[in-house]
Amino acid sequence: MHDAILIVRREFRERVASRSFLIGTVIFPLIMIGLILLPKLVGSGGTERTIIVINDGPAGVGAAFAAALGATPTSADENTYDVKVVPGAYTAVRESLNSQVERKEIDGYVVLPAEVLTSGTIMFRARNVGSFAVMRDLRSAGTRAVQSERLKTAGISAQAVAALIAPVNVDEAKITSRGEERGGALSTFLAAYVVAFLIYVMTTLYGVAVMRSVLEEKTNRIAEVLMSTIRASHLVFGKIIGVGSAAVTQVIIWAAILTLFVTQSHRLGDRFALPDSIMQALRVEPLTGVLLFLFFLLGFFLYASVFATVGASVTSEQEAQSVQFIALLPLISPLLFLESILNAPLGRTATTLGLIPFTAPIAMPMRMASSPVPPIEIAVSLVLLACAIAVVAWIAGKIYRVGILSTGKRPTLAELGRWVVRSS
Amino acid sequence: MSALELREVTKRYVGHLAVDRLSLAVPPGTIYGILGPNGAGKSTTLRMTMNIIARDSGSIAVLGTDPAIDGTVLRRVGYLPEERGLYKKMTALDVIVFFGELRGMPHGRAREEGVRWLEKMGLADWQRARVDTLSKGMQQKVQFITTVVHGPELLILDEPGSGLDPVNQEVLRDTIVSARDQGRTVVFSTHNMDQAEQLCDFVCIIANGQKVLDGRLADIKRSHAGHKYRIEFETINPGVLAMMDSGTIPGARRLADAWEVELGSPADVGRALATLSANGAGLANFQHVKPSLHQIFVERVGRAQVAERRPEVERA
Repeated sequence: MHDAILIVRREFRERVASRSFLIGTVIFPLIMIGLILLPKLVGSGGTERTIIVINDGPAGVGAAFAAALGATPTSADENTYDVKVVPGAYTAVRESLNSQVERKEIDGYVVLPAEVLTSGTIMFRARNVGSFAVMRDLRSAGTRAVQSERLKTAGISAQAVAALIAPVNVDEAKITSRGEERGGALSTFLAAYVVAFLIYVMTTLYGVAVMRSVLEEKTNRIAEVLMSTIRASHLVFGKIIGVGSAAVTQVIIWAAILTLFVTQSHRLGDRFALPDSIMQALRVEPLTGVLLFLFFLLGFFLYASVFATVGASVTSEQEAQSVQFIALLPLISPLLFLESILNAPLGRTATTLGLIPFTAPIAMPMRMASSPVPPIEIAVSLVLLACAIAVVAWIAGKIYRVGILSTGKRPTLAELGRWVVRSS
Repeated sequence: MSALELREVTKRYVGHLAVDRLSLAVPPGTIYGILGPNGAGKSTTLRMTMNIIARDSGSIAVLGTDPAIDGTVLRRVGYLPEERGLYKKMTALDVIVFFGELRGMPHGRAREEGVRWLEKMGLADWQRARVDTLSKGMQQKVQFITTVVHGPELLILDEPGSGLDPVNQEVLRDTIVSARDQGRTVVFSTHNMDQAEQLCDFVCIIANGQKVLDGRLADIKRSHAGHKYRIEFETINPGVLAMMDSGTIPGARRLADAWEVELGSPADVGRALATLSANGAGLANFQHVKPSLHQIFVERVGRAQVAERRPEVERA
């Protein structure tokens, strides 16, 4: 086993000493933190718009609309409006308003038509009508103004009306075995997506590193010297563990940075006015963290074995690239089912993808991030994954021994099959 | 016990027999050359010896042990493959230490030896340099050091001279000779007959996978020697000159600075020498003309016998 340790050490050192490792380790968290903080730092939250209101309808509606739209928003993310009610019929002021919009003196104008109470439609004319946030704000303000006027017409006092149409907020929480957990749909989506994406990137990155390393030894014939000194299985094993420990080192460094970030979250949160939901999304329960890590690790082993086999059976980097894409397809597929998995984490698609060893390393963490998954399913998924690793590693060992020493042309599938059967 | 012994070893690839019932024995402490044209089966033989490829039949004993049964014996062997390569991103010393440790050396000793060898090879200043920054010649030297750093009892070098400039050829030759002088055994393959002639104690010539001849180089040369002798005179008088020209000494032929004569038996040699000295000839040199290894090779293998390298496809 001493020789396998030497291989582990060599691979680990070569990875960790590389420039890309350093860059990945440092730059990645910076980018992630930057992506969270950047909007706050450049203040790209809400903007202010100047809107003119023309009221052709009942007298109170215009004022109510202007008050609702012009109210100070609850969060810095939302738009603010400078609203002015202009007297006069729409038909009379239309031309002058249009030219004001064109001259960019105002952003747009809203017309409350005479029959607004019955039709329930208001008009919005502006240079730009593409903003969902603006549409939502107009709809909300219009609804409040019209509803309150309708209620007044029905004989309810102004005071009562204000109470009646007070807006409602949704206080969302996820039910889990530990009780209720805060963190909304955004945090669930973010967590699932980030975890899946990270596992995908890490598996691909380090799996391909294993392949490259095998291919290097094959093309420059170091393999011949190695094979005459150590067993093929020790070599493959050492290589995968070596590259894997570099990956784990990187993850641990990231985890440390994340932990620091989260423990300091209230400070950062205050400073940069971060919404709680983002901080919530970053907070991971220790058990969940361990399970996620386990899925990552086993997924890496599975794909690293596949990549080692690919590296041993191809003869050049170009050949490797075309085969490598095919080998990665199963890993990518859960990302294609992202919607379906997040909508129904316990549904058939999600459950199936969570059990197939080649998709589980991505699918399972996505499910776990969006909903509590029955422990038995997690256990079965991990066991299946471990079995798949054993089978793939066995095949890899067989092909590796023959493949790494054969050069010249790429073997056909039939030849690969024979290597597996024949070699001892 | 032979340092390396092959008996009836056979390897068949699809379409051709690469090695055909090859037997040879390498006495310990000698330099042994495996000679043959390209495609003769030299590399295949050495790779079977290193258990890199499996033989179809026959037996191999490396330092008394079959490497296919106990691979650990190969740690006492230094193997230089025909096509060279190193980890490009490691430093010269790290690569050497890695291969030393892989053969069971403790880290500290592998370092010491690595430094010593680098100094010996004139690469002391390049210890910390990454392999891919070294020149091709330097890389070859580093690779050679990885082959010998663990002090192997047996060195197996596949075409060690290929790609080396004359200066480094010299370094290589000195290293091989000094390894032999330290009691190690060196087996190398080559198609360069001059190189083999300068170095080898024993040779084995193979062609088309079969052994053509083997044995001690001196014996082979003697047994291939003809009846030609070379004579150089210190002083020559007209009488002797007349004898040479008249054919009193059989087959005499004038060369640029000497004479060549043909003497069938040792008795003829004695008679000729007696006659010459009786007539007052002053001999500077009298020598049995032996063929060069190259001549023997061409004679035995034939000029046309050069096989092209063929694909090494394993049989199903």
